Amino acid sequence: MILAFALAAAVLFGCGAYMLLKRDLLRVVGGIMLISQSAMVTIIGSSQSRGRAPIGVQPGDVVSDPLPQALALTALVIGLATVALLLALVHRVIVVFRTAEVDELAAGEAEHEAALEAQRQADREEAS
Amino acid sequence: MIFTMALLLPWVTGVVLVALDGRRRDVGWLAVAVLAATLALLAVLTAQVLRDGSQEIVTGGWPAGVGIVLHADVLGVVFAVLSVLVLLAAATHEVLAGVRIRAFPGLVLLLAGGLTGIFLTGDVFNFYVFFELAMTASYALTTYGGKRRQLRAALVFTAVNLLGSFIFLLSVAGTYRVTGTLAMHDVAERMPAVDPNAAILVAAGFFIAFSVKLGLFPFHFWLPTVYTGSRPAVAAILSGAVANIGAYGLLRFGPGMFPAQLRLAAAALVLLGAASLVYGAVLAVARGDVGETLAYSAIGQVGYVLVAIGVGGTVGLTAAVLYSAVNALNKTLLFLAVGIRGALVAGAFAVGALSVAGVPPAAGFVGKLELFRAGIVVGSPALVVLLVVGSALSLVYMFQVYQRRFWRADPSAQDPASSLPLRLLTATVALIVLAAGLWPEPLLAVSDRAAEALLAGVPTA
Repeated sequence: MILAFALAAAVLFGCGAYMLLKRDLLRVVGGIMLISQSAMVTIIGSSQSRGRAPIGVQPGDVVSDPLPQALALTALVIGLATVALLLALVHRVIVVFRTAEVDELAAGEAEHEAALEAQRQADREEAS
Repeated sequence: MIFTMALLLPWVTGVVLVALDGRRRDVGWLAVAVLAATLALLAVLTAQVLRDGSQEIVTGGWPAGVGIVLHADVLGVVFAVLSVLVLLAAATHEVLAGVRIRAFPGLVLLLAGGLTGIFLTGDVFNFYVFFELAMTASYALTTYGGKRRQLRAALVFTAVNLLGSFIFLLSVAGTYRVTGTLAMHDVAERMPAVDPNAAILVAAGFFIAFSVKLGLFPFHFWLPTVYTGSRPAVAAILSGAVANIGAYGLLRFGPGMFPAQLRLAAAALVLLGAASLVYGAVLAVARGDVGETLAYSAIGQVGYVLVAIGVGGTVGLTAAVLYSAVNALNKTLLFLAVGIRGALVAGAFAVGALSVAGVPPAAGFVGKLELFRAGIVVGSPALVVLLVVGSALSLVYMFQVYQRRFWRADPSAQDPASSLPLRLLTATVALIVLAAGLWPEPLLAVSDRAAEALLAGVPTA
């Protein structure tokens, strides 16, 4: 069972990391979502005991560890909120830049470099 | 009572203020007043903790071991006071300059609530919850300004730090699996009995998560884009308050919970810290842009903190706490000062620049002195030489910026001088940095107490 959880978490993390490295922003978001799910699977996999649901427990019953489930629930809610924020941000970026490609966002970087070069030129003129 | 108030006040008012229009002056000043009140509460709490020892609350009236533990010790309150002070300065700066988006005051308060929670919790998962509260507020803050550069910065910041958060969460799951508990105190007690391979894996996960937050080399790749892109007040908040999460986390989880793993990796940490220090300083000299120089300088400065943690012992940890505090103040002062122009500003910037370089009487001198002491304790001449080279380079790049910013009559930079209250605020922050350098006894004593509390191996007293 632990092996199954470990494999599921590993596959999710691997797929997430692969998508994270894509150029398309929406795939980047998808990658982060997959990695967050991998964390959830790991939390559930970290339970200390397995058994029936811990509701209406009689003494002597074998119950599953409730703490990781509470953790996973909390983490899921937080994950939902942060991914929603990230999606809103990506939406805003697409509206402003009119593109969802990482490369085209980097065009701004080149302008910045050119401005820096002008400043270095001014330094050299000042020195001579 | 004061403990609970300090946690609840910024959080509750933050939730209310997010719904109000923050561009209105009165809402902005209300946020500043709440931050000041939080700072006062935390100051009282600090006084109590220093006098009577750490305080502890178990939430919801549960017995200890069932409920979530909130825990205030010297290390926690120092970082809480420091972060709220930085937020107060940045928020006042922005309210004086005119807030541009409606959510700004509320977000700063939520960030204050999250940060206070992080520093005052005694539970690993609770740490994650507060951590996400603070980070979510700072993701939204990074977009402040709404221009292309800010949006790009926010996107990079959010994507990279979310990844860091999930790596943290994976390590939390690992901690629970190997120790069967999430209370920091119990984790620290049970860690020696854990399989060393599993323990080092969990510790490495925490280290990566905090290094991403702190912007240590080689996890720094996101930092220059973000610090250059965001507005001065936000850059001050990110480098002065949010980066404290990383420094505090490394201190709390390293010597506090994984001391054996830390000893194992001490040499690697010192090397990484040294790499960060040299890399940051060299690139800061090479880059021309003010924001970028300060960003690379931030990468270099956190290298000092990592070196101090790697050295360890009372001397090393005292230096780490002290240097984190001084560095946060320096960065706040510098980022706030580059955003404005006029008389007093150049002087304030020069104080910050001297402090980064470690020239007396600025506070940076005291931090550097403690670091040198740590270097001498480990008996490594190479380390001391490296620290001197780092300081010399920081003097070079800070005064490069000073020259470009305040001496050259750049026709494109002929902005009118900023308003007097703004300049006075920056001068006040500069005075705090100077005062901490002229009268370093309280800061030194508190850092020393924080390091001792950590080394006693008991996060819960």
